[in-house]
Amino acid sequence: MTTEQTQGQRSAEAGADGRAVLEVTGLDVHYGPRRQRRRALHDVSLSVAPGETVGIIGETGSGKSTFARTVLGLVRASAGRIVIGGEDVGAYGSRQWRRLRRRGVVQYVFQDPLRSLDPDLTVEESLIEPLLIQGVARQEAADRARTFLARVQLSEELLDRLPGELSGGQRQRVAVARALVTEPKLVILDEPVSALDSANRVQILQILKDLRAAGVALVFISHDLGSVAGVADRIAVLYQGELVEVGAARDVITDPRHVYTRLLVGSAPTLRSASADRAERDRLRALLHA
Amino acid sequence: MTMVRRVLSLTSGRIAVVILTLIALLAVLGPLLAPQNPLATSDNTLAAASGSHWLGTDYLGRDTFSRLLDGSRVSVLGSLEVAVMALVVGAIPGILSVYLGRTFEWLTLRLADTLVALPFLLFAVAVIALLGNGITQAMLVTGALVSPLFYRVARAATLAVARSPYVEAALVAGASTGWIVRRHVWVKVLPPIAVALAQTIGVGFIIVSSLTFLGIGVQPPAPTWGGLLASDLGYLSYQPWAPLAPAVLIMITVWASNLLADAIRDVSGEAGRAFVNTRKARANRLGKPDPVSTGGA
Repeated sequence: MTTEQTQGQRSAEAGADGRAVLEVTGLDVHYGPRRQRRRALHDVSLSVAPGETVGIIGETGSGKSTFARTVLGLVRASAGRIVIGGEDVGAYGSRQWRRLRRRGVVQYVFQDPLRSLDPDLTVEESLIEPLLIQGVARQEAADRARTFLARVQLSEELLDRLPGELSGGQRQRVAVARALVTEPKLVILDEPVSALDSANRVQILQILKDLRAAGVALVFISHDLGSVAGVADRIAVLYQGELVEVGAARDVITDPRHVYTRLLVGSAPTLRSASADRAERDRLRALLHA
Repeated sequence: MTMVRRVLSLTSGRIAVVILTLIALLAVLGPLLAPQNPLATSDNTLAAASGSHWLGTDYLGRDTFSRLLDGSRVSVLGSLEVAVMALVVGAIPGILSVYLGRTFEWLTLRLADTLVALPFLLFAVAVIALLGNGITQAMLVTGALVSPLFYRVARAATLAVARSPYVEAALVAGASTGWIVRRHVWVKVLPPIAVALAQTIGVGFIIVSSLTFLGIGVQPPAPTWGGLLASDLGYLSYQPWAPLAPAVLIMITVWASNLLADAIRDVSGEAGRAFVNTRKARANRLGKPDPVSTGGA
């Protein structure tokens, strides 16, 4: 597997042009107290250029969300370097993190659209919150919220509604709009479509494509290669906390190098006309666990 | 302000606010309205209600109605002091224990455990011996001893929302701890605290009178509602109706506090907002004609 992994490991810096919005080098993350330390991420290096969309795929527990949460400062890294918009945030304390976050350079869209919006706040209150935190006047914030609500194809009538009165797709679009109001350079989306039906999924993916066209860098985290494939410029594959393959989306899908990637591609029948059959998948699974 | 408007949109909320306003007025104006000197004794002991003594007299011939009015201020203020003290010493550290790091959390948790373990009367007597005797000191002691309830309730409610994605979304947007508590946590913590507060106000009346019995806090012959109830109970065979007036006053105050707490709980949170919205929608529908049937299957 080591040989396969080495072969499969393409340059983590592919696509980087020196002005990366996000640059992660040798990231290690551990959970739990010293004696029961459990490794969540090991030696993960990835960079995201301005306007680039990077998809991170992997199974549940592979460390996808941990990667996002570490980049956002919600989880502390054990080792490694994280540079956001040219700032090395490795040694940042809570005050410095707050200052960086208030600039709205990076935003996050959560997986669960119901729990990511405060059930007591109306859509408008949720949308203007990041702006109010930045110190924007309420009226101006409200005007900007309306603009971004239109950008995610939602009606202004929803501004007075509570999250409980919206559908799952509407909630997720509100969450996307909330992430966009500060006009970030980088948006990290953690499984943004996994809780949605196919119609809403298509709508959200279209919004992401529009964002990419507008020059916003995206990190799209998903367990579903199919969702990522249509949006991402590059795809990074996480397996058991390690980045096993990074490359252009087309290359990773058409010519996967790592066994795990091959298994992932083989398990997504819509991606290739000649998808791997059951026997082939079993063979790959045996190779992976060997 | 939104919360006040929502509480007032409920009938129970309006009733509670009216009653509590009357009780507050009684506390402010009560001693001034007393028709007779509440401390003046007479030979006319244990008299029945009459034109000169509307609620009769007690075992020392003092006018019960005047004592009831005169005792309102100290009773209500005493209860409020207990509640405010418990809120400040209990609820606020309870919320902050989730945010201010492990040292603060450990210290406040152990302090709450210690206060729960302390015997109430012994602690009250010790503190009074240290700080001097007075109603404020007595109420502060009581508030401190009730505070673990508020601490636990506030902490539990805060823990339930502290790690929720919407709080993390606010964190990612650069919100401070103060912002998160004000905007996201307080609304969720308020309903259970309001219920605990209503209970404490009721308990406060009883504690004021218990401490008076021990010579702590309000000093005899100064009247309190709880004190009146306790002294009247000793003469039940002569005046079976006598405890009725202070009991009814205490009961109404506690009931109105509970009613207000329930109203706050009902209009808080998602369910509460939906409830108020449904009422609004119903009211709007009542103002409009029914939709005309277009026929068909």
